[in-house]
Amino acid sequence: MVKVFSSLCFTAALALAAPAVELKSAGPLTFGPNGTLFAGDSAAGRIFAFETGDTKPSKGGTVEIKGVNTKIAALLGTTADQILIADMAVNPISKQIYFSVARGRGPEAVPVILRADTAGNITEFGLAAAKQSSVSLTDVPAEGGRQRMEAITDLGFVDGQVVVAGLSNEDFASSLRSIPYPFQAATKGAGIEIFHGAHGRFETNAPVRTFVPYTIKDKGYILAAYTCTPLVRIPVSDLKPGAKVKGTTIAELGNRNRPLDMIAYEKDGHAYILMANSSRGVMKLTGEGLDGYAPITAQTEKQGVPYETVESLKGVQQLDKYDATHGLTLTDEAGSLNVRTINLP
Amino acid sequence: MRTLLLLLALTLVLNAQAVLRSGDGKVFWVENAAPGETFQVYVGEGDVPPVLGAFSAENGRLVFRPRFLLADEVRAIFRGVVTRFPALRAAAVPSTLVEAVYPTTDRLPENLLKFYVVFSGPMQRGEGWTRLQLLKADGTPVELPFLEIDQELWDPGNRRFTILFDPGRIKRGVLPLNEVGPALVVGQTYTLVVDSAWRDAAGAPLRKGYRKTFTVTEAERRPIEPSAWQVVTPMAGTRDPLSVEFGRPLDSALALRLITADVAGQSRLRSGETRWEFVPAVAWTAGDHRLTIDVTLEDLAGNRVGRPFDVDVFNPVTTKITGETVALPFRIERR
Repeated sequence: MVKVFSSLCFTAALALAAPAVELKSAGPLTFGPNGTLFAGDSAAGRIFAFETGDTKPSKGGTVEIKGVNTKIAALLGTTADQILIADMAVNPISKQIYFSVARGRGPEAVPVILRADTAGNITEFGLAAAKQSSVSLTDVPAEGGRQRMEAITDLGFVDGQVVVAGLSNEDFASSLRSIPYPFQAATKGAGIEIFHGAHGRFETNAPVRTFVPYTIKDKGYILAAYTCTPLVRIPVSDLKPGAKVKGTTIAELGNRNRPLDMIAYEKDGHAYILMANSSRGVMKLTGEGLDGYAPITAQTEKQGVPYETVESLKGVQQLDKYDATHGLTLTDEAGSLNVRTINLP
Repeated sequence: MRTLLLLLALTLVLNAQAVLRSGDGKVFWVENAAPGETFQVYVGEGDVPPVLGAFSAENGRLVFRPRFLLADEVRAIFRGVVTRFPALRAAAVPSTLVEAVYPTTDRLPENLLKFYVVFSGPMQRGEGWTRLQLLKADGTPVELPFLEIDQELWDPGNRRFTILFDPGRIKRGVLPLNEVGPALVVGQTYTLVVDSAWRDAAGAPLRKGYRKTFTVTEAERRPIEPSAWQVVTPMAGTRDPLSVEFGRPLDSALALRLITADVAGQSRLRSGETRWEFVPAVAWTAGDHRLTIDVTLEDLAGNRVGRPFDVDVFNPVTTKITGETVALPFRIERR
């Protein structure tokens, strides 16, 4: 009897298993509703959605994981110089922290998703057991000898759409795609062209580096940061496949800088945006009246939305929202990567 | 005799606490674990968690299969006794080289968008930005000329690395860039340096570094006009190459991918990527032929077919391109 039961279970498990499209590389992560984890896979040119089942609400707590790169390397049975942590995302329901990691740095690197509980204990998140779906970003299947790839630089979930920013290794263009979720079989992530005017008389279709979904007067926007740090406002309603969109530059945050990550939050009744940068530290910008700033059209340095630099935050590489009053940072401190919750400034 | 017996007993006790590893390194086990007892396998020293893997009881042995093959030195601890295993891999020998840097020409426009560094074998990710420098003629480095994105832009085999110039450091328009100015200045000479310390996929540094010296010319802001290309046609019945002179260098990767002929064959770039040549698989047939050019083809400054890289908001020069490709007809004559 027991035998029959177990074999039945096995059959059921097989039937439940989604058609296996394997994750080839693990890049940017973001959470959607009900514990759905989206992962960008640059190597396969796909966006994956995993139903994590990680839906038990938790208030979380103070998290600190020192040397997360060394710990993850040890778990994966290798050394810290043989892994790469691509992204970190907090499950807003359970407050567990998910990491996308490559084990190995060559073309044979294996993608792994790991998860840290609220006590900081890290385990592997079993991709095979999670219900998954995925969508291809390219019309052309990868063929032998084909060298074009697209690095997925950021991923966000807004108004039922997965928004994907990418950068090609061959053609230079902004690639921003908006893909409805649940994924439809026929959906291709069609590109959107965004021009912005941060270069004097010229407008450029330059790649988005990072973005954050944002609501202004009940209207959904994404605030996109570009590599030479203009901050550009784009209505979500404009993000339609094949559209040519003119983004409105609302801030110039300075040259010689790369925006790395952004989060939006409220504190004491006011809205703010926190932006981690490669060389200009962590900036706190007001998130209010963003529709009121005159579009910047002339070449300029630092104008528009006012900001202050948060001196207490140094070396921040990754930033996510932890809860209403806390953020989660991944900082590089002399080669040791440390994860910790911070009070939102 | 008593000493011998003692030694034998000690050996047995120690062996009982030893962790064993299979020849291929994939399996670890102990012979006589009590129910509920386990051992731990570690890579790395200090406060690190044990490696991920699965335990199982097999023929009286407690067996551990790590999630990944452990190629580094391994520590295993059973009943407080440490067993050490040597690394499975030998030290890597330098063998990889930089084969080429594109564009190959040594005269490059002020608004150059990118370089491709092509290696002879697969490389490691994650260190590219520490291995590249752009030097001025006096040997001092240009500060942050490139768009350093963490993801790094490789081809699928990790053999070609794409370096994009930071869009904020590419000269545009008439207004001066505040603060730092453009990375490249007309008339100046620069050297792109690839450091030999860059590690290949096996972990070995390059056999030697690479230097590409070039002089900067005026910015290129014209869209690509295929109708202005010079096409030199071969005679029917031969497999002589069809030759197309662009009049300026084009992006090497895009030119090879996005210009296609209506017959099978091989394309190649010559003369510093200013000429495209096509050798048909079988001899040319007389009559009308055509090349198809995808409009996303770019030159060295990102100008596309019918559309410059920067859209000039005062004097737009964007030509109306209706399709995604343009055709370039040519005729092969009988001998």
